[in-house]
Order: sequence, then structure tokens, then C-alpha cells
Amino acid sequence: MKVTLVKCPKCELPLYMETQDEFFYCSHCGTIHTRNGPKVERIPYEIADFRPDAQTDNRVYVPFWRLHTDFRIKSRDVKGGFFNKIGQALKGGDKGASIYIYVPASQMETAAFRYWSVNLTINNPRYSARTDFAGTPRMPATTTRDEAIELADFVAVTLEAEKPGTLQYLDYTLTVNEAKVVYLPFMSSRSGLHLAV
Amino acid sequence: MSGQLSVGLNCPSCGGAISVSEGESSLNCRYCGSTLYIEGDNGVNTVAFKNKLDRDAAIKATKAWWRKGFKARDLKSAGAITEVYPIYLPFWSIGTRVAGWVCGYEEKTTTDSKGNTRTEREYKEEMVLMDLSFSEIACDPGDLGIRSLRNFNGEASFEDMDMIPSFESTTSRDDAMAHARADAMARGRASARIPNITFESLHVLVRKLSMIYYPVWVARYTYQDRMYIATVDGVTGQMLSGRAPGDPLYQSLAVTAGTSLGGLAAAGGIIAAFTFQSEIGIAGVILGLIVLGGTYWFFRHGSEIIEGDFADRKQLASLKKGQLGSLLGGARI
Ligand SMILES: [Zn+2]
Repeated sequence: MKVTLVKCPKCELPLYMETQDEFFYCSHCGTIHTRNGPKVERIPYEIADFRPDAQTDNRVYVPFWRLHTDFRIKSRDVKGGFFNKIGQALKGGDKGASIYIYVPASQMETAAFRYWSVNLTINNPRYSARTDFAGTPRMPATTTRDEAIELADFVAVTLEAEKPGTLQYLDYTLTVNEAKVVYLPFMSSRSGLHLAV
Repeated sequence: MSGQLSVGLNCPSCGGAISVSEGESSLNCRYCGSTLYIEGDNGVNTVAFKNKLDRDAAIKATKAWWRKGFKARDLKSAGAITEVYPIYLPFWSIGTRVAGWVCGYEEKTTTDSKGNTRTEREYKEEMVLMDLSFSEIACDPGDLGIRSLRNFNGEASFEDMDMIPSFESTTSRDDAMAHARADAMARGRASARIPNITFESLHVLVRKLSMIYYPVWVARYTYQDRMYIATVDGVTGQMLSGRAPGDPLYQSLAVTAGTSLGGLAAAGGIIAAFTFQSEIGIAGVILGLIVLGGTYWFFRHGSEIIEGDFADRKQLASLKKGQLGSLLGGARI
């Protein structure tokens, strides 16, 4: 095994991070990069501000991949439920929708993963962006861009499956136009994570 | 998950010793705070688990195992251990997450009081979202009967590796990844429990890949001039695999029961087939032949109790599924 000193790919200064994180954050110039063997990739990202009345205790930033996608359904077959009729009308394809799909970039238990990916995709969070983390701890990221794209496909199918009726068939295309990381503000408590935008 | 591991690696900035856990690719030096990236050879991080057993414990575990199940009842007195030694075996350890949906239906047939049968479809859509562990031996296991790991926890340390001989890893990382992906797909699909699948979209992510050197104790012993083998987990002390002589009493009971049942069914079937020309008769002949065949197989191979992933045990499983099925298929024509 080989050990290398992590340096920022932009300003070339060595990093001294406080937590163990696969998203390497340079506190000098704000660049975030990932490494895969000798391959270095810069990650475009945004930081969302906490809402003004949010408590200052227990704040944490959780990274999500936000994928701008075109989700186009060519045909679907749903048994029972409201979509039974609509399904017929859809044959031949619909126009498709442009959606932002959120995929957690941190390691989460499967239940939390499902909850946050589906909820943030259905209700995209609105926030004002800021330029630094203001000393707020970050949850370490583990999910690569390619993995996020695979998981976006899972989220898109979940949106369809969770509509009324029982899904039997789905023919679709999902095109990812842009992938960006968004650090969303959360309050952590014993009951779990609470969004604080 | 597993313990910390010092592998003689040093911080390139301050020279301090660093410790890495299994699957870890980055850390911050605890002396100077520098952020460090760990690059495994060919992208693989390696750990070794500390051996927790000594020779006596391995012998004790083997002898305790002799007394369990339908093994020869005099094995504990007539069995003689000839050699006991530890080895390190390399395993691929791969953590995956499988995410997706499986849709389809199950057919349920009901019969009403008039004897009319009706088949109804119960439609299903199931989410698959699970984290899985996969392991696979990374060398030729020879006659040890070990193919995968049951335990993924241990005290990580390379210090025993100087004393205990270890097998070189000979299988490729890409093959192991492909096997782990296929395993996750199959387990994800199976978890949905949908007999007729009409739509499936499953994604497998590899979360962690490492090589674990695992300590295993090998015990060779003799019983009535025949050689046998048993292996013991060097971390947990559990039996991993083994061969042992079966008990002649149980065997003769099984053979008697098998031949008489098989013979009866076959004979009855032949009579029925000639008398009534019925399908029941033919089925009886086939059933009888299968029981006889099974008894013959048991008679030839059943004199040995086999536990673990031995190649000849796999053959039995595939014989059950494959050859017996084709025997039936052939007999029907
Ligand atoms: Zn920088």
C-alpha cells in the first residue's frame, strides 16, 4: 500500500482536514476533490445556508448529489389504482419531465437513504447559498458521481412505483445533464436528522 | 468494523506511524494532522486477522466436532490426529449495496366446491434496498473445503504473518467484483419473492473491496487407515469444514430402508403399468429407480460425512438438480 500527502489540485497546498472524508476540502481556496487511485476529480458544489431561526447547536452539513435529469417514460403498465387508465393514454410516450434528483452522498442506513432521496426529489429544498461552512461540521461523503447516477435511476423508478396501483412494467430513459453536490443544513438529534433550510 | 492495523506505513510529512482500517482510503495523521490518501496495490487494501487459537485449541475443536452428528461412534477413541498446523488464506471481501425494484405477479389457483379451478394473478411491486457482504477465497483452496468467509470481524494485525505460512492470492480483483455483483443481483432479486417477473431494475454499488488474510488451522487425522481432514477458524474457533467417517449402523439402516422402498415402488409400478397401463405405474417405476439410485449414491459416498465447500459435495447438489431432472425428463419419453 502507498501513502500520499493530499494536496489541493488548485492551490497545491497540503490539506489538514478535521474529519476523515473522501471529499477532500481545501480550506484555503474552497476546492473539493476526490481521488480514485492516481485520478483526481474536482467536485462542483454548493453550500445551503441554515434558516435564520435555526439553533446553533447540533448543526451538521450533509452532502447530497443533485442531478439535473430528463426523465422520459415511453410506456408503463400499472395494475389497479388511478394510473390504470392513464397508463393506456401514455402509450407512445410522454414529453418527459426535467427533474432534480437528490441522492445522499454520505453513508446512510437504507431507510434514511430512501426517505431523504425520495423526499428531497419530490420537494426540492429552497435555500440561499453561502460560500463557506462557517465552522459547521460536515458529514463525510462516500458516494462517487458515477454511483450517484446509478442511484438516481433507482430514485426515478421509486417515484413511479410509489404512485397508486401496482407497477408491472416501465420503459423509460433517464438522462443526467448535470451533477453537483449540495451541502444541505441539518440539525441532528436523537430522533434523526432534521432539514434546516 | 475491524480493528486498527499498523502496516509499517508512515506519514510522508512527519514520519509518524499510521494505522489504517479495512477498506479505508483516507485518514488524517494523528501526529501532524496532514490529510493522507491510501492507495492499495492495484486499488486493493489488505488486512490480516490475528490468529487467536493455539495447537491445543485446534485439536480440542476438532475432537469436539468428531462427537457431533452421524459420525462413526468410535471416532473419538479410534481417530488419531497426525498433524495440526495454521495457515493464512487470502479472501476477497466485498461490501455491496443493491438498490432497485422488482415487479411482477404470483399466480394463485383456487378450487371451488364444484371442482372448478380458477387462477388469479396477484400483482406485486417490491423495492430492493440492502447492504450485503460477499467473500470468496482468493487462491486455490485445494482439498480444504473452504470457499467463503463466515466471519468478517477480527483483530487486524500482520504480526503473525511472519510465523504462519500464507497462500498467495491468485485470482483477479475484477473476477471477484463480477462475482460480488452477480451475487448481489441474485440476492436482491430473490428478496423480492416474485415468481413471475415482468420488470426489474437493480443497481449494484461496490462500497468496499479488500483482501483479508484469514488464519485457518488444518487438522489431518486417520481412522481405520484412512486419512481425513478438518479445518478450524483461527479467529472464532468454529469448525469451517471437514470430512469424517460415517457411522456404519446409520448407513446400513438407510441402505435397507432405501432398497426395500425403492424395490417395492419399482416392482409395484411395473405391475401397475402392465395391468392398468396407467401413468401412476410409470411414475412408480421412475420413483423406485430414483430411490434406488439415491441409495446407491449414499452407499458409495455416504460412508463419509462431509461438511464445508468440498468439490465432491457440490457434485451431489448439482446431481440432485440436474441429472435427476434429466433422468426424469428422459424417462418420460
Ligand atoms: Zn486549495
